[in-house]
Amino acid sequence: MQIKRKTNFENFKVAKKLSPEALIKKVEKSGLMGRGGANFPTGLKWKMSRPAKYLICNADESEPGRFKDKFVLDNNPEIVIEGINIAMYALSTKQCFFYLREEFKKYKEKLEKIIKEKSKYKITIVIGAGSYICGEETAILNSIEGKRAETRHKPPYPSERGLYDEKTCVNNIETLARIPLIFEDDFDNELTLFSVSGDVQSPGVYEERQGITLKYLAEKVGAIDPYAIFFGASGGCIPFQQDLILSYKEMEKTGNFFQTGIMFFNNEKSVPDICRSIIQFFNEENCGKCLPCREGNFRLLQLFQVILKRKWTKEEFQIIQDLIDFVPNGSQCGLGKSSTIALKSAIKYFKNEFDKLIE
Amino acid sequence: MLVTIDGKKIKVNKKCTILELATKNGIKIPTLCYHPDLRSDGKCGVCVVEVNGKLMTSCNNDISDGMIIQTTNERIIKQRKINAQLVGCNFEDEEEFRKWLKLSNMPDIDELKFKPHASQELDDSSHDIVMDFKNCVLCGRCIQKCRDIQTVNAICYKGRANATVVTKSLGKKLIDTNCVGCGQCSLVCPTNAIREKESYKEIKKLLKDPKKHIIAQTAPSIRVALGEEFGLEAGISVTGQMVSALKKVGFKKVFDTNFGADLTIMEEASELIERIRKNKDLPLITSCCPAWINFIETFYPEYLNHLSSCKSPHQMFGALIKTYYAQKTKINPRDIIVVSIMPCTAKKYESCREEMSVGGIRDVDFVITTRECAKLIKSFNIDLKLEKKMQFDNPMGPGSGGGAIFASSGGVMESAIRTAHYFLTGKEYSAIDFKVLRGNSGFREASIKIGNKTLNLAIIHSLKNARKILEILKKTRHKYHFIEIMACPGGCIGGGGQPKPTSKEIIKKRAKASYEEDKSLEFRQAHKNPNIIKVYMEFLGKPLGKLSKKLLHTKYSDKSKCGL
Repeated sequence: MQIKRKTNFENFKVAKKLSPEALIKKVEKSGLMGRGGANFPTGLKWKMSRPAKYLICNADESEPGRFKDKFVLDNNPEIVIEGINIAMYALSTKQCFFYLREEFKKYKEKLEKIIKEKSKYKITIVIGAGSYICGEETAILNSIEGKRAETRHKPPYPSERGLYDEKTCVNNIETLARIPLIFEDDFDNELTLFSVSGDVQSPGVYEERQGITLKYLAEKVGAIDPYAIFFGASGGCIPFQQDLILSYKEMEKTGNFFQTGIMFFNNEKSVPDICRSIIQFFNEENCGKCLPCREGNFRLLQLFQVILKRKWTKEEFQIIQDLIDFVPNGSQCGLGKSSTIALKSAIKYFKNEFDKLIE
Repeated sequence: MLVTIDGKKIKVNKKCTILELATKNGIKIPTLCYHPDLRSDGKCGVCVVEVNGKLMTSCNNDISDGMIIQTTNERIIKQRKINAQLVGCNFEDEEEFRKWLKLSNMPDIDELKFKPHASQELDDSSHDIVMDFKNCVLCGRCIQKCRDIQTVNAICYKGRANATVVTKSLGKKLIDTNCVGCGQCSLVCPTNAIREKESYKEIKKLLKDPKKHIIAQTAPSIRVALGEEFGLEAGISVTGQMVSALKKVGFKKVFDTNFGADLTIMEEASELIERIRKNKDLPLITSCCPAWINFIETFYPEYLNHLSSCKSPHQMFGALIKTYYAQKTKINPRDIIVVSIMPCTAKKYESCREEMSVGGIRDVDFVITTRECAKLIKSFNIDLKLEKKMQFDNPMGPGSGGGAIFASSGGVMESAIRTAHYFLTGKEYSAIDFKVLRGNSGFREASIKIGNKTLNLAIIHSLKNARKILEILKKTRHKYHFIEIMACPGGCIGGGGQPKPTSKEIIKKRAKASYEEDKSLEFRQAHKNPNIIKVYMEFLGKPLGKLSKKLLHTKYSDKSKCGL
């Protein structure tokens, strides 16, 4: 795995020989895309943020079924710090905040040791308070400022007005870990960490190229009777298809949202049940700011709890469908907009399962 | 920029939001959490429109070149209908909700499908405000007011996601928080989850008691706002109709608090002169605003000696009604009930203060807000618009124009300077309208020459600016001679008890009406009001005299709550 490679800050030395502008050009040319989930070109983000007052390393990983940030922290924290150093040089930044989710606080000591020994720049570790929404690039700003973890309206984007209203660059930890690798001869911008879980023989983190087929991945991880695939909680779901190509571009065509957290389910599982867990997740993890997301998900959960006791009436199922369309349209941030993707695709692809639950 | 809105091509030069553009062009987009004076977060989703085929909220998204905006179509209506369902269960009652649907141009819906969910206990611990969050739609306008504009932080959010609530800071009862009672939260609450503690029903009962002599007094800022509650446009003065309606409701007498304001000016101008002469406790800071008094007692008790010791106008007037008026009319003061109709929620607590009574008799027995006053009048099926104009009762005579302008921020200062100038020089100030003291900014400074002395003045409204000037005082205590502070944005015309909606635009219109009233009056300076001269001659003696001090002045105490 490239991500495990020990580069010993050698690539930082190489990077410093370039001017910041040339360095950003190199990152742009490398084709590296952000690994936080939005697939935004990293070089472009840097270009827009420069000169940034702050860099934020986002390790608030909390998407269900995704655990690759933890994998990086376990296996190669040095390369992340090196990546941050390169980024701070390129962005002319003096201060970085390393945002760890509350459950990752055990890594704090280890990271601080590396920072003390190796880092040329000031990197401050910030521990979150355990909120999913803090992974969103504007909620993380509020959280660091000590404010309530609510998302901010975009525009302005963090690159224009971010932390303490200053220009800020927010990068995912895997993105930053891949920065030093750009200087390696065998760098491959398609290599991505996939987190695989569910009904498989060997769940875990796999480094694969984007563009592999679902069949390839299923065989590799030993999927058992794959039936439904969920891409995290916010990515949507599809029935198992052998020839599905796993990449942002290809997945967009199916109306789903690609997430590198891939959950396999066999046919003993009920898709509506999984959907209920997902609604429950969003019902607890939204920030509470926008009414459509907060109330919409709450009412959806209420309706999904109905089937634990009895079947839905036709009217109830109609309200569910209405709410699924309603929630993303009225919400301001990515969470609200993606909170019903899974439900929508589940009803589309597993209609027979839902039909059985209607009177 | 060229923007298409509902098929109409419009050229726009200045950046604005979609909602602002629509409003300017006479297109009504429904809103709930939007307030023109506050930051828009697009929280409620009610104002969605279709932009280039995508639904988005219009209150917080700016227009851009080439935008094609559709403010209503089948898809938008469907979206709004579901939104109405989700909001509907939060309203105080369905009637209010239906009224909102209609007023805000929302599509009508059949029956409400959802039930309100678990909420907090009703909190009526405060004298001023009731918080009943079962009606809360979490629009957050109250928090913006309390935190950003008033810097009081008595309320905040708690919890997240579906467990998010607006609640009192640190989970305390409202009375135990730093709440100063300004009521700005209630003024912006769209669902009445936060409202004033009503007492008009109790008054309604008392009005039937023939043994009681019930007197209403109305603040200068009521007459320029009350009409709005009856469908009139902002800025129309309804003084005469208001007096007539209150008489019909059953008040024995209807007095004008302007007279009390004149008294305040006589006392406060004398106080200013005395402090300047002794060079003691300067700057003098006004004390008419009870929310401001609560604020300084809570947050800056070390500056209490700078406050004027004057009671606020309606309290002064109340004290005089229970003594001078009672003596003159030979009515037992215990049978007199004074009801102050005020633009304010904080005056409710003010009137309960121990200091605001003489010999166990309260100066003022009830305070009701402009909104409550409208409810009281409406409960008698009286339409204010149709009332004949009547004069205020005149046992002590009408007030001067100097009292009338108390309604706006800067008014107290202006009136006090008119009178102080006369007291100091024996002459009237050449230009009676102190234009330098007027304006909309929440922090205004001016210097005025009286005789050979230059006075440095500051006029403040909204408490964030009060905080600002007190921080300045910490560094340079002697920069100013006289400071006027009002807690509510715009002064009393923007008070927490005023009709909804209240916005900067509406406040401007109300202010204009009250300055016009000043101009129309025969006497524009308190010290020229012959009735004021008479009261001092017959009863009070002189300003700051023994009886004046007893009846018209008060004292303050440190009410800072430790740990906050």
